[in-house]
Amino acid sequence: MFIWLGLLAVLAALAVIPGAIGNRFYAHVLVLVLLYASMAQSWNILGGYCGQVSFGHSVFFGIGAYGAGMAMVTYRGVPWPGIIAGALLAAAVSALISWPCFKLRGHYFAIATFAIVEIFGRLFLVWDWVGGALGLDYPILDDSWKYFLWSSDKTGYFTGAALLFAFVFGVVRFLEKRRFGYYARAVREGQETAESLGVDSMRVKLTAMAISAFLAALCGAFFAQYNYRVDPPMVLSLDMSMKFVLITILGGMGTFWGPLLGAAVLIPLQEYTRTYLSHFGAGVDQMIYGILIMFMMIRQPKGIMGFLAEFGLLGGKDGGDI
Amino acid sequence: MVSRSAKGKVLKALGIAALFAVILTCGASFAADKVIKIGTIFPLTGPVAVSGQNCLAAVQTAADIINGKYDWPDFPLAGKEGLLDGYKIEIVAADHQGKPDIAKSEAERLFNQEGVFAVIGCYNSSSSKPASAVAERLKKIFLCGASSSAELTERGFNYFFRTAATDGIESEEFADYIDYLNKNKDAGIKTIGFLYENSEFGKHAAEEGKKAVAEIGLEVVSDVPFTVGATNMNSEIQTLKAAAPDAVFGAALGGDYSLMVRTMKQSNWAPKIFINYCTGYQSPAINKELGSDGSFYMGGMGYSPEIAEVYMKGALPAQEIYRGKTGFPLDSDSSQEAVCLHVWAQAIETAGAVDTEKVAQLLRTETFPSPLSLSGEVAFSPGGQNNRAFTVITQLADGQYKTVFPLDYADSELVYPFPAGDKR
Amino acid sequence: MDNFAQVVVDGLMNGAIYGLVAAGLSLIWGVMDVINFAHGEFLMAAMYACYWLGSLAGIDPTVSWIATGAFLFLLSAVAYKAVVRRCIGKAAMAPLLATFGLSIFLKNFCLNRFTPNFRLLNNTALSGKTVNIFGAIAPVPQLVTALFSLVVIAALYYLIKKTRTGWAIQATAMDAEAAELMGIDTERVFTLVFGLGGMCVGIAGGFMTGYLAVFPEVGTLFSLIAFVVVALGGFGSIPGALCAALLIGLVESFAGFYIAPVVKYVAVFALYLAVIMVRPKGLFGW
Repeated sequence: MFIWLGLLAVLAALAVIPGAIGNRFYAHVLVLVLLYASMAQSWNILGGYCGQVSFGHSVFFGIGAYGAGMAMVTYRGVPWPGIIAGALLAAAVSALISWPCFKLRGHYFAIATFAIVEIFGRLFLVWDWVGGALGLDYPILDDSWKYFLWSSDKTGYFTGAALLFAFVFGVVRFLEKRRFGYYARAVREGQETAESLGVDSMRVKLTAMAISAFLAALCGAFFAQYNYRVDPPMVLSLDMSMKFVLITILGGMGTFWGPLLGAAVLIPLQEYTRTYLSHFGAGVDQMIYGILIMFMMIRQPKGIMGFLAEFGLLGGKDGGDI
Repeated sequence: MVSRSAKGKVLKALGIAALFAVILTCGASFAADKVIKIGTIFPLTGPVAVSGQNCLAAVQTAADIINGKYDWPDFPLAGKEGLLDGYKIEIVAADHQGKPDIAKSEAERLFNQEGVFAVIGCYNSSSSKPASAVAERLKKIFLCGASSSAELTERGFNYFFRTAATDGIESEEFADYIDYLNKNKDAGIKTIGFLYENSEFGKHAAEEGKKAVAEIGLEVVSDVPFTVGATNMNSEIQTLKAAAPDAVFGAALGGDYSLMVRTMKQSNWAPKIFINYCTGYQSPAINKELGSDGSFYMGGMGYSPEIAEVYMKGALPAQEIYRGKTGFPLDSDSSQEAVCLHVWAQAIETAGAVDTEKVAQLLRTETFPSPLSLSGEVAFSPGGQNNRAFTVITQLADGQYKTVFPLDYADSELVYPFPAGDKR
Repeated sequence: MDNFAQVVVDGLMNGAIYGLVAAGLSLIWGVMDVINFAHGEFLMAAMYACYWLGSLAGIDPTVSWIATGAFLFLLSAVAYKAVVRRCIGKAAMAPLLATFGLSIFLKNFCLNRFTPNFRLLNNTALSGKTVNIFGAIAPVPQLVTALFSLVVIAALYYLIKKTRTGWAIQATAMDAEAAELMGIDTERVFTLVFGLGGMCVGIAGGFMTGYLAVFPEVGTLFSLIAFVVVALGGFGSIPGALCAALLIGLVESFAGFYIAPVVKYVAVFALYLAVIMVRPKGLFGW
């Protein structure tokens, strides 16, 4: 609880102190860390707590991004209604497509979800109403909360990302301690056993999926607002889906702080290696990234939370749900 | 007397501390005085890495020429070492991997963190858009070489300048040429098909192409977008073949282009004329690999070694520097990135000061000599399009780019119609 | 009618090639329950090997597939020993993500070493030749690749079903612990399976270099299709993978010609989803 409050206090302080964020590169990295932590946490609801490893989250992320993008570009309005509509639509779509997919087990489920990403990505590329292959480009507008756009300074985006982060993590914290959280973990540990004890596993999984998709869509909307552009390869790609999975697993799947730890390690690594190692030739940064993933999976597949538990830094509790 | 080793240790410690300071301040430059930093954002990795790396090499070539001293009378700034009173250009290279979101954040980093004076980029139109929006909001100069989407210069930006011809300009020229062939050579071209990659670039090129051919009364009988990085192109070529258009306009990058050429050859069918937007067609590396299969294809080009021999002699020594970096002659896309830097350098030299507003104003109003451009000069219209940009239509024959249109530049006759695969 | 024949021939040809790319993946998945995410990059590595053999030593792809097959057997076995073996059984998705890391590494390693240039072998023994099948034109390099992939798949099937080694592989696939008790060195079987999987994709890559440009991203879409082929065919079933691959080749070809080329991959993925709803373990899954 203290970590939780402390973290919020630091984030709030950074947002309030003028010039603390500014426009330096670390501000960008910080915003991305919060964004990707939120994305990973949204995935964690389904993948970590419920045990359904989905490679399809970029679909919901993309729907959210398109919600905001179309509100801004197609309808020349403010992003807010688009964000809400996109998030609700993502939840609906997620329930619709996962209803049949939840019958599948293990790798079949994983492959099915990424087939869905490929279908959505390719359909959006030819769907003119959403801008097709041309994508949606934001007009140049003044910095404001009304449009949720800033250019000279990252404080606005930082505050937005911090609020998103607090919301997503808050929702998960809330659910974790409720009956739903226990049901979800029961389904993960053994669907048959859970059902024999009266847990409607389908309902649990669908609920987890819908909440997860809703939150992922919010992150997607933020992503569009942050980059002034949406096009299908940016959001509706397997690459983006892998980010959700990787960060969570790197941090520690099914743990509350795992997604934040994963993002806090992976995002700065990705951003700083790209900017500082490019002198050593193309691709060196990504080679290191690849090696790190391999190393992590070999050394400690339970992620950074697993490492912390190994070194006894988690106050004696098991490395699981803290 | 302090021993030398102790002094060494202190120095070493200071050195390490300084290094840490540099890392901690996120590499906020090795602040040498007389340096003007120029950022570049190109796809150095990812699916179009080959083009991105060539573009970077071209910008570095231009920087070498401006920074060094060369005795080339036709090349402004070559004879002088550096800019103004001894400023050197330092290129800060960034990689956007073909992803618009990375291009945007790299643009922010280059301006805010590295303190670059201007950015050159991004090859992919989809990445140029958000990255140039960053520059525009910061009121910094963004120079764009080869991104061909006409939309980029229709946004009314004040700090955006693009040197290459747009797909709109190219489309009109292609249409003009077909019109000329129909009227003067009895070519009988009545129908047309489009074969393009389904991306921002391909889609936009095809839209401009359709507008242009509508004006000369061609009927579009086939419209075939294809998936980037396809595993085969059988359905695409088969669809075209079934519609059998007289002419085809193509827009395909690298690997897709070579797959397209080979599949087309195997299909034993070819349109009477096949014209490409500045892409895979104009890459010397790809055409070397394709060999004779690449012959008879045509395309718009703003630069080719053959044209340079005749009309752009001033560019030839620069081409050799570039060849030393990449092993290939300059190509139409990457040469435009070098033009960007060269024109900007002339503007700053004229301005007499490292001042964004003055330089931008000069870029908007002045005409600059440019030995790397086909027209020999560069001048920007409002919105930032180089209004002197134009391309010639070339046809490949035995690995040589033969110019066929406009007639003033033509050095050979068109091979018409295109011989199909089995009749070569 | 010509169009129809052409569409069928194209579909079957591409399908057979997908089959060979997917066969190795299917074997690994079936025996070990591991998805090798670096499969597409193995294909790329094989194609680079074949390209360099062709351009530096002048060896034709019709011969160098033997070398690329052997090379990929080694590469794949080493990847198993060094990476996959160390994360099997630790967490559900660990091998998958580890091979994903491997794929990023391999892709960028080749980009760094070989530049991102598109490389094509010219004037190979088969290049430029075509044959006429019922009015459809079939390019010889693809046709040979397709026919050869049928041979390789048949040989693989024979190896699994009819040889002692194959029985050991089957036993391990069914129950690794029991197989261990029966005196089968499962560790060796796993290495062998990974190596064989690599060999299939190595042979495929060797032949494909005869007509396809080589560059660091070349394997990406192939590997996605291979995943779908394997899942559609069903868990480790080699005949299943072949049937699924031919089906997918045909669907791609038909959708590409009769609907629109741009939706051909959409059709492939949609077909997979449709089938998987009816048969959750694939066509031949049990």
